Amino acid sequence: MPYHEFECSKCIPERIKHAVDKGKDENLSDALPLGYLNTIPGTLSERGCAYCGAKHVIGTPMKDVIHLSHGPIGCTYDTWQTKRYISDNDNFQIKYTFASDMKEKHIVFGAEKVLKNNILEAFKAFPKIKRMTIYQTCASALIGDDIKAISQEVMDEMPDVDIFVCNSPGFAGPSQSGGHHKINIAWVNDKVGQVEPTITSDFVINYVGEYNIQGDQQIMQDYFKRMGIQILSTFTGNGSYDDLRAMHRAKLNVLECARSAEYICDELRKRYGIPRMDIDGFGFKSLSGSLRKIGLFFGIEDRAEAIIEEETKRWKPELDWYAARLKGKKICLWPGGSKLWHWAHVIHEEMGLEVVSVYTKFGHQGDMEKGVSRCEVGALAIDDPNELECIEAMYKLKPDVIVTGKRPGEVAKKIRVPYVNVHAYNNGPYKGFEGWVRLARDLYNAIYSPIHQLAFVDISKDEIETDKGFMTRQMFSDTQLDESIVNSKEMHEYTGEFDSLKRLRDREYPQYPMKGKQAAV
Amino acid sequence: MEMTIEAGKDTLMNYIMKNCLWQFNSRGWDRKSQNENIIGKATQILCKEETSRETLADRCYWAEAQELVNEWQCFPWLQKMNDNDIKAMMGKLKETLDYQLITNSLNEELKNPNY
Repeated sequence: MPYHEFECSKCIPERIKHAVDKGKDENLSDALPLGYLNTIPGTLSERGCAYCGAKHVIGTPMKDVIHLSHGPIGCTYDTWQTKRYISDNDNFQIKYTFASDMKEKHIVFGAEKVLKNNILEAFKAFPKIKRMTIYQTCASALIGDDIKAISQEVMDEMPDVDIFVCNSPGFAGPSQSGGHHKINIAWVNDKVGQVEPTITSDFVINYVGEYNIQGDQQIMQDYFKRMGIQILSTFTGNGSYDDLRAMHRAKLNVLECARSAEYICDELRKRYGIPRMDIDGFGFKSLSGSLRKIGLFFGIEDRAEAIIEEETKRWKPELDWYAARLKGKKICLWPGGSKLWHWAHVIHEEMGLEVVSVYTKFGHQGDMEKGVSRCEVGALAIDDPNELECIEAMYKLKPDVIVTGKRPGEVAKKIRVPYVNVHAYNNGPYKGFEGWVRLARDLYNAIYSPIHQLAFVDISKDEIETDKGFMTRQMFSDTQLDESIVNSKEMHEYTGEFDSLKRLRDREYPQYPMKGKQAAV
Repeated sequence: MEMTIEAGKDTLMNYIMKNCLWQFNSRGWDRKSQNENIIGKATQILCKEETSRETLADRCYWAEAQELVNEWQCFPWLQKMNDNDIKAMMGKLKETLDYQLITNSLNEELKNPNY
């Protein structure tokens, strides 16, 4: 696995160890990209800051909370126009955003008084909300405001409220990943163990590292409930503040995004003896294996098996319809962190896509180990790429689609490479069996959208065919297919509803009587 | 076709690296413990020996190992292998995991004293 040198980064020699071509008969001990290092001066990184990693990724998906940034109002930029971690309480946490609105005069004279006024004002404006998180920003960290002291003052004056303070200013790490770490540790130190939960099942988990993007958590919650598993808390998508204070009573931490939340799992393992089980919620095979091993842990593997059978029967013919049309198409797997390894193997095995590149903006070397292991030989693995490197990679690899966030996605569109937004999703949720089909549909629509064919026409020199004014996706996708596939009665397009969560809202779940003490497996 | 211990080890190693996540915990000591316990329990299951599941940690290791063994039913040669060969192969498998992911790993975070 030789390191990959980008033409555009020859003037930044340190960059060479951040990219690797996966070679045949080589393994992770031959070459591995560097990761989680400070951005090299001169390279235009696209990472987020440590404040963003703490607040916008992990803190804010908590649903019943006023999330307040102690800093300039610009720090609250990311709300529902960029983030789509929805919740089942009418999306309170993304509908409203709060900042103490620090200005220059506060930098000079201090902003503790203005912070206290803001806290009181926010609780007054939303009297039903009794929980708050406050996030330090670069500005408030540099002037040394004592946020914890102010919070304690408020809690003393208002005994029915509880406030969590996260000290993770933007400069507190190389990327948003530094903020993930800080908020994990702060939460387990300051809040876990404060609430005793009501246990309603013999099988109790914390679902960790899941942020309910367009409903991912609710999809997985449905499977767990059907298995009779009680989700004590979700860290943090659609999660409740007080439920997360009771994490210490779970029997198992089920971990999805290890990059953002392994710290709290590891601490809960050390402090409370709760084991950590890493799972994949994406892809039929990986998800099935994940449900099976959770079932095995609790001795209820038959319940997992019933769900897998039912869901596979319902959704596999639809996945196969898209897979037949996606087969051989080249994809750059360029999400932020964990999806590069959640998807690298299953998107190839189950949708037939060729993964030509994986990248991570803020991942650590551990993420690259997983991603490189799972993708196919020949793929280009890049750590913290800059925009020029991405453009060079796209010109060289000629992907049919890239999956990434909206900033690099818009760059891709400019050079006529379709992209699917896998940070906030196009038409998610993508987790679960149905979700995997929804992703396949979005990839299909991106690759075969007629708009891309039109975009390749250069009106300054190309002849415009005026007799071909109407094309559909299927007119593009089905021309090369075997007739048996085109006319297949088994395979068909997605038939789920626009809102795939709708049918889950009123679902009744089986009641399994508790046996008291957890039965031996 | 009979599978050699070395070839069998390579096949199982490829399977683990492609499909599993448990071998990638972020610290070297943690990886050592995961490899030891999960491969140890998988070996016991393959050899139809008693497997300890008394603590929550043991149950978690066992669940990972049992699921792995269930998935390995796609390898018919494994069902035909005798216990001595299985133990020798699984021992080599653990050595390879330790070598690639701990002792010879290029991951600079493995020795970080904190989580």
